[in-house]
Amino acid sequence: MNDKHQDLVETMFPSDGSGIKPYEWMISPTRQRQWIDDKGIFLWLAFFFSEIGAGLYFMSLFYSFRPGIVLGWLITLVLGGLIHMLYLGNPKRAWRMIMKPNTSELSRGIWIIGVFAVLGFLQIITPGGFNMVFNFIMGVLCLLIISHGFATMNVIRALPAWNSTIVLPLSIISGIWVGHQLLQFMFALSDKAAVASGMEVWAATFFLIYFLCILLYAWGTWHSSEAAKASIRKMLEGDLKRITYIGVGVLAILVPLVFTLIMWGGNTNGFLIFLRLASVCAGDLAIRYLIMKSAVYNPLI
Amino acid sequence: MPRWGMVIDVKRCIACWGCTIACKEEHFLPPGVFFNRVLIGESGKFPTSSKLIYPILCNHCSDAACVEACPTGATYVREDGIVAIDDEKCVGCRACMVSCPYQQRTYYDEKVKEREYFPGQGKTEMEIIGEKLYPFKLGTVVKCNFCTERLEDGMKKGLTPGKDEDATPACVNICPVNARVFGDLDDPNSEINRMIMEKKGKQLRKEFGTEPAVYYID
Repeated sequence: MNDKHQDLVETMFPSDGSGIKPYEWMISPTRQRQWIDDKGIFLWLAFFFSEIGAGLYFMSLFYSFRPGIVLGWLITLVLGGLIHMLYLGNPKRAWRMIMKPNTSELSRGIWIIGVFAVLGFLQIITPGGFNMVFNFIMGVLCLLIISHGFATMNVIRALPAWNSTIVLPLSIISGIWVGHQLLQFMFALSDKAAVASGMEVWAATFFLIYFLCILLYAWGTWHSSEAAKASIRKMLEGDLKRITYIGVGVLAILVPLVFTLIMWGGNTNGFLIFLRLASVCAGDLAIRYLIMKSAVYNPLI
Repeated sequence: MPRWGMVIDVKRCIACWGCTIACKEEHFLPPGVFFNRVLIGESGKFPTSSKLIYPILCNHCSDAACVEACPTGATYVREDGIVAIDDEKCVGCRACMVSCPYQQRTYYDEKVKEREYFPGQGKTEMEIIGEKLYPFKLGTVVKCNFCTERLEDGMKKGLTPGKDEDATPACVNICPVNARVFGDLDDPNSEINRMIMEKKGKQLRKEFGTEPAVYYID
């Protein structure tokens, strides 16, 4: 088969990048492509930025740290929101997405982000914005935004690797963990090194829960169904294994573990906090990418 | 109001791909876009293995996952059971595509529109005419509509879908072995219901829980 023929075959039957042949489509486990390939990559980034922005906002509420909530609000709305728009085929019609909150998780997300945008703005501009009621409402909204990306994926019953019980706890803890790291770094940059040092005990706790959730996700998914097992197999043995071992094994787990042990007891250092933050962000991106990229549909026959 | 459905006799199907091609002609589908496909697999192990041939299309589920997932209401179930897409409302989020366990939807964008059946040689007259006669909106999702235009035009002329060719989906008309039967699922006396009852029609992957309107018999 020459190059022209190969191009023609690729045009007629675009391969999914995982090596399945056109005639194996939906006969063997078939990968979802829409929410990760081509423009789908925007959705991956949008979910990530919404999550870390809301995570930073959430953690800043506990410290009544206004720069943190401003930055979190901006990351969620500007980066998360705009990148979401880039993904849509007809972004001018995006307002229509408020129409079906009763059944569509995407629609619910738009409502939550809308309320978060308004109330967040009010909290930022109000001098006494950090009161209990406001903090509670914004905290709940942040948790909903953190989990929105994975919740949208979690309701899709057709993809067993996404329709797992542990997906939501994993997304919430990853949002809180990354948000915590961002906030700690902001404190380390400002002249509040003592606060950054005090946050270290929570860093260890969040990291441990995050690590357990990753293990639970892998274990639970492996045992849930054949298609879900195929997803985990793709991560461990297939074309995604480098991302799994480097992105998750090294960046999401090993490097943060080493830095957490070095800074054990509050011996924090701005540079180490920065390195751990960079590693945690890259690791979180890798986990999201793997979960989105490896999801497969059950064969039809 | 009828509820349209289809029965496919997999024992009769000879995998000629006539339905796939007739559908492509009917809707002027560009390369890589299929509203009808034929899946060929096998079950069991030698010497007791058997070949499986399953023509598949949108199942027009009454509890459709795509309808549930659509955030704008662009995908909806019509009164006659057909799952339709209002391309004026579609925002191109592709939640319906990801949700569909049967993977029967395609995203129509510039990349798909620009595809040529003879790459590098420009579009044929047929492809150019097709884009005018059957235009799809860019940035929206497309799928099988049970040849709604044929059904509606035929019924206006007093024809009966499933019996008269001009009121019946193209894939049913073209089938050389009459493996496909189209009709009203709500009419207890319809041929389609008789076949489902007599031959114990099954929905493909019933466990997905979407209540498909396409049944398979063997």
